[in-house]
Amino acid sequence: MGRQQESSSSEVMRFFENRFGAHEGVLADILGSAMGRHIDDADLYFEYTTAQSLSMEEGMVKKGGRHVSQGVGARILAGEKTGYAITEEIRPETLHEIVRTARSISLGTEGVSTLRITPARRDSPSLYPVSDKDLDVPLSLKKELLLEADSAARSQDPRVVQVMASVSTEMKSVMVVRRDGLVSADRLPLVRVNVTVIAEENGQRQTGSFGYGGRIPFSEVMGEPLRHAAREAARQAIVNLEARPCPTGSMPVVLGPGWPGILLHEAIGHGLEGDFNRKGTSAFSGRIGERVASSLCTIIDDGTLPHRRGSLNVDDEGTPTQRTVLIENGVLKGYLQDRLNARLMGSAPTGNGRRESYAHPPMPRMTNTIMLPGETDPEEIVRSLDKGVYAVNFGGGQVDITSGKFVFSTSEAYWVENGRIQYPVRGATLIGNGPDVLTRVSMVGSDLHLDPGVGTCGKDGQSVPVGVGLPTIRVENLTVGGTA
Amino acid sequence: MKDSETLDLLSFVIGRARAKGATAADALLVSSDDSVVGVRKGEVEKIHRTRSRGIGLRVFRGHSQAVVSTSDLDRGALENLAREAVEMAGETQPDPFAGLSNPGPGSLPDMHALEIHEDPPRDIPQEERIRMAIEAEKAAFGEDPRIVNSEGAEFQSTVTHVAMVNTEGFSGSYARTLYGVSCSVIAREDDSMERDYWYEQSHYFRNLAHPGDVGRHAGRRAISRLHPRRPQTTTCPVLFDAEVARSLISHLIGGLSGYALYRNATYLKDRENTRVASSGLTIREDPLLKGGFGTRPFDGEGVLSKPKILVDHGILRTYLFDSYSGKKMGRPTTGNASRSLGDVPHVGISNVLVEPGTRTKDDLIHDMKRGLYVTELIGFGVNQVTGDYSRGAFGFWVENGEIQFPVAEMTIAGNLDEMFQSVLEVGSDIRLRSSISSPSLLIENMRVGGG
Repeated sequence: MGRQQESSSSEVMRFFENRFGAHEGVLADILGSAMGRHIDDADLYFEYTTAQSLSMEEGMVKKGGRHVSQGVGARILAGEKTGYAITEEIRPETLHEIVRTARSISLGTEGVSTLRITPARRDSPSLYPVSDKDLDVPLSLKKELLLEADSAARSQDPRVVQVMASVSTEMKSVMVVRRDGLVSADRLPLVRVNVTVIAEENGQRQTGSFGYGGRIPFSEVMGEPLRHAAREAARQAIVNLEARPCPTGSMPVVLGPGWPGILLHEAIGHGLEGDFNRKGTSAFSGRIGERVASSLCTIIDDGTLPHRRGSLNVDDEGTPTQRTVLIENGVLKGYLQDRLNARLMGSAPTGNGRRESYAHPPMPRMTNTIMLPGETDPEEIVRSLDKGVYAVNFGGGQVDITSGKFVFSTSEAYWVENGRIQYPVRGATLIGNGPDVLTRVSMVGSDLHLDPGVGTCGKDGQSVPVGVGLPTIRVENLTVGGTA
Repeated sequence: MKDSETLDLLSFVIGRARAKGATAADALLVSSDDSVVGVRKGEVEKIHRTRSRGIGLRVFRGHSQAVVSTSDLDRGALENLAREAVEMAGETQPDPFAGLSNPGPGSLPDMHALEIHEDPPRDIPQEERIRMAIEAEKAAFGEDPRIVNSEGAEFQSTVTHVAMVNTEGFSGSYARTLYGVSCSVIAREDDSMERDYWYEQSHYFRNLAHPGDVGRHAGRRAISRLHPRRPQTTTCPVLFDAEVARSLISHLIGGLSGYALYRNATYLKDRENTRVASSGLTIREDPLLKGGFGTRPFDGEGVLSKPKILVDHGILRTYLFDSYSGKKMGRPTTGNASRSLGDVPHVGISNVLVEPGTRTKDDLIHDMKRGLYVTELIGFGVNQVTGDYSRGAFGFWVENGEIQFPVAEMTIAGNLDEMFQSVLEVGSDIRLRSSISSPSLLIENMRVGGG
């Protein structure tokens, strides 16, 4: 721990140099051909990723996988235009070719100039000092862990009839070379474990699922964490066996802490991404300085949290990540920016330029999106419900950026009357309107939790790992899509 | 890469796996060349060119298996990966049902007759691609002065090659071309802002819809959504537009997977030859459909594909199996293996078609009298294990058999089993737009959550 980021960054640069001959002279030469009056920005994104996974069902570790992915994306930006081309055969000639293809976006004459390559200097330690060794756990040990998860789930309750578990690790080495000569490199570790359980009673079946992950050494999920995930998945499935149809209509909803923060991601996060706001297509366009939430709400996007799944030392354009205030005491403060949209909107990039892989150009994306805690005792918030839903776990969500309508679906929720939990309810989708749902947040708890580290966000066909965080909150008049 | 080179490389890979100790193996190579031009507000916004290829290798040591994939096609790197795959297969546990499928007799269909590959692909100059995208967007803006903004219009073309070999002697390949035009625009009036889109695609460039028609349709759709109201919470008939009926059919199909069966993870367990939908619903699968978007000569295990009936007048006729899930349930494969580079096969579909009825969507709206006509769904509130269904919806409120006004910020909920059993009528409006094709479906009653 405590290794300096700079040393790992130069290690990654050397890796790309040794493996693909991407030394400074070649890089300067290739990006030097991406000059010209009409070109505003350009970059090359090198990626080499190795991933390993192992999965278990029916008490058997049935399959293992290993995956290698390598490639380079070349991007040329001129005004609002983007040219993008990729190659998976990484040689100086193919790199020249993709730059030529990408620059067909710019109508200006070809300019060539000399580029001075400067490795980015950063003095802060890496947010995730995890080495290959920290991920390289023998398969036989992973196998044992998966089988342990199986027995942990089954011993939780005899009604558990099926247990599926998986562990996966990934190490992604990336290097971004920008037209200003700045080279940033990083190594992104990612670990994830997941357990899904099916429970059955009297012909009724229900499912539960739980996982952990982050940019962490594999040892952090070994043993108790994985067993806990198994017990938690089993507990959810058993709870849901008792679930009754969920009431329908507009009602107060209390969201538990942690993963229910997906509300923030869908209701406001996407709508505050720079591309939609630059184009004026978001329900939040032009609303900076306006009240969009109750004064109890302060919401940030923070890419600098150590070891979190959504964190990055630098984004995929070489911009250091930061803590960006989106909403402060209910007032809209800022957008999430990549370089393209920041340039066009006359603002600064916020370290949110992200991409799934070399095969895609970056876009403004969230990192870890979090509501800061309030002062209310969380138990008091649940007790405050006269009649309403208390939702503690969710599946996925989605949003229509332009109209602001968003949904997220419960996977564990309870009907509450007179401040007391009555019974679990079956999965229901909650729907709201992003720009006004948070104005109806009437209580914010003191119990901020971050999610367990399994979130993935999809946008325009690209998936990236993200995180959310939420204290217990109460929202008035949310529409609950039950069947009762 | 030429076909012969591809098959050579794959033979090399399974040969190396064998040499390292694999008892059986299969390998897949997928390569694609994708080109997208995007315009926004009449100007070129993006030009993307993605040429990509990768190899997936599955190896067996007896009944233990592992799978590896890579985009590094260097022979030395492939040899290393083959070795790692064999080592990993030494760590997974033997599963008596795991193994290669025996593709059985038969010869590959005439690829030309499938009409999914324009050979050679149409050489479309960049200016022509840009012109088509601009035309689509311009038509959308021209549709109504309230179309004030745009997310852009795109023209896309893709050529994909798939090749597969296994150690049982199977060797096959096919190619697919795809051309598409899409357009997404924003309508605004007073404080109401709504986005909608449209797309058309075709395997042959000459069959592709006119870009102007795509744009006009996108424009009309966005305009029709302006000033939505929020319906009161109620229970009423729901008409699923053909575009969203597709997703409903996909949930039913998901519940037929052999994997979901042996895992007890489907509400359709133990329902073969029983009623799973109202008698108006007949669903077929046709892997060899001419020009179909799911058309393929063989499945992800090299099994030759045949047409079949899945649901016959509401009666479930067959579940869907690949070799593994079939063996688990004591059944032969139904030719429904789907294979991606990085994973072992799972169950998937080719083209699924719902038999259309005789009455138009407007007839169905008329019959419904009062209820909800749903045109878009969002969210993931579908539970295949229980059939519980709850999603966010957009659409139109119907009163006196006529569309009254757009509606938004509501949910529709029910249970898939009950929903399919209560399909009152199937529309005549079927079009081939994706691998699943369904006309609009009228469901007797669902719970609508609103104000």
